[in-house]
Amino acid sequence: MAKEKTGHSVESKKTKAINGVIFLLLLLLASVTVYPVVYIGFGSFKLNSELVSGGLRLLPEKFILDNYVQAWKIANFSRYTANSLMISFGVMTVSLFVSSMAGYVFSRKEFRFKSLIFNAMVMFMFINVGSAALRPLFELAVKLHMNNSLLSIILISAGSGQATYVFLIHGFMNSVPKELDEAAKMDGCSFFGIYWRVILPVLKPALASVALLSFRGGWNEYILPLIFTMTNEKLRPLTVGVVALQNAGDGAAAWNILFAGSAIAIVPIVLVYIFASRQFMGGITAGAVKG
Amino acid sequence: MNEKKSMGQRIKKKWNNGDIPMWLMLFPTIFFIVVMSIYPFAWLIRYVFYDYNGFKAYFVGLANFNRVFTDSIYWNSVLHTFEYAFLKLLFVLPLSLMTAVLLQRKRFGSQLFQGIYFLPTVISSAVYSLIWYFIFATYNGVLNSFLRAVGLINDPIDWLGSSKTAMIAVVIVAVWGAFGNYMILLISGLTGIPSDVYESAQIDGANGIQTFFKITLPMLGPVLKVVIMLAITTAFKDYESILVLTAGGPNNRTHVMFSYIFQMVFGTSQAASQLQIGYGSVLSIISALIVGIVTIIYLKFSKRMDEIS
Repeated sequence: MAKEKTGHSVESKKTKAINGVIFLLLLLLASVTVYPVVYIGFGSFKLNSELVSGGLRLLPEKFILDNYVQAWKIANFSRYTANSLMISFGVMTVSLFVSSMAGYVFSRKEFRFKSLIFNAMVMFMFINVGSAALRPLFELAVKLHMNNSLLSIILISAGSGQATYVFLIHGFMNSVPKELDEAAKMDGCSFFGIYWRVILPVLKPALASVALLSFRGGWNEYILPLIFTMTNEKLRPLTVGVVALQNAGDGAAAWNILFAGSAIAIVPIVLVYIFASRQFMGGITAGAVKG
Repeated sequence: MNEKKSMGQRIKKKWNNGDIPMWLMLFPTIFFIVVMSIYPFAWLIRYVFYDYNGFKAYFVGLANFNRVFTDSIYWNSVLHTFEYAFLKLLFVLPLSLMTAVLLQRKRFGSQLFQGIYFLPTVISSAVYSLIWYFIFATYNGVLNSFLRAVGLINDPIDWLGSSKTAMIAVVIVAVWGAFGNYMILLISGLTGIPSDVYESAQIDGANGIQTFFKITLPMLGPVLKVVIMLAITTAFKDYESILVLTAGGPNNRTHVMFSYIFQMVFGTSQAASQLQIGYGSVLSIISALIVGIVTIIYLKFSKRMDEIS
């Protein structure tokens, strides 16, 4: 009996040691993962001279706000931020309506060309021609005089994400009992009325995922707005604005502005993530499993 | 008169049973498919026969296709795409699988670790690549400072500017940015494995490693296959990060297919090079085919794995 007890405690000592090592490795990986974000966060408060001289010190020697003031006022970041917000909220709004309507129709109606439309969506998810597909869209926007507004960027961003969001909503819709629709129909609700009054409230969790993912998509869009704002700096979002500074030719001289600009570009989305991390991860899983 | 009335009635009926509202509600989706998928694809297929610089298009027949065969930069970029995808997957898959297995149960503060590992995936890859660009900087970058402080190197490494290290640097950033995403997908697959399977394994005296290979891996199979396919197709499509980190350089060493095509179709930010949109269209269709073939080979391969086991 006593022997067994010691044997057990040796075993648990060993597992404790293994767990300790695992924990340390996880901690190391976590530090590496979070380091670039922390580095840019603290670095954005450093003097340019400190940034240019490099070194390992994470915290600023002298804590200054001037980089943000300069980025905001001189380097146009107030405008870039406004554009980023417009694009993100625009993409989110369009995605919510388009995907919820399509998901509802696909889940509740049988009709001609249904599988054709559905399959076209799946097929074009896998045909990837890269940025070349943006050339005709850009030229189309120029022809329609839409290249001087954010609308074309919003529509193209929402359109390129729609398949994922339609699948996400469609998957969720299939778990919503049809009796709910029928009861509403009995009460005299029209097809659209059922969607508006009954389905949308039930879809809330899925809509939250679509909202988060599409907001992130719009906020992080880079190639698309880069192409559409090549000759129109006023329409640039934060991603394009800050990367453009990298190539501005000033080289090391602009590091402080670049750091503050990068921080402005990531802090809002990181804050959203901190408050809604579970929904973010849930949305990723739902979208991938259905798609 | 009579017919008109019946027509009106038909419309009314279609309106009431939801047929017309249905098409109206589906319209945006169909619009997006037509304008954003079918139209650009048809456009590209037309322009493969043209020499087009953004202003004037000349019909050149199959000249663009002939050029592909002798374009060594393109074929090197194809090789680099495979190299990049292979290296990325080599690190991303084990890392995401290990973290998923370790963090699926509630211990070690697993929720917090999950949250941290997933963090890079919410940040724009253009902006995080810019941040890494600072970290990799030769003289004032943190990475070289660190390596010198611990005594691993004496002279600073030109991470992004040397053809020996540029691809490594690009892959480091890609792995950093992606493994959390696949970890979350794998965790959702792991939670689908019933816990009594693990309990009976424990009763039979299986250790952690045995449990992993005999139970976790086989039961995770279907999810793992989807995750690997996502990882492969994504790795072949990546180029945004490369544009910011190296713009394909040095000496085209980090050019992947789609970064090369981007420069053909939209030019570079440094030099306003002559656009070659028709040729870029040919390359984009060939590249799409390459990705498609890789995907099909993977699907066949994973099916065969099923039959064997």
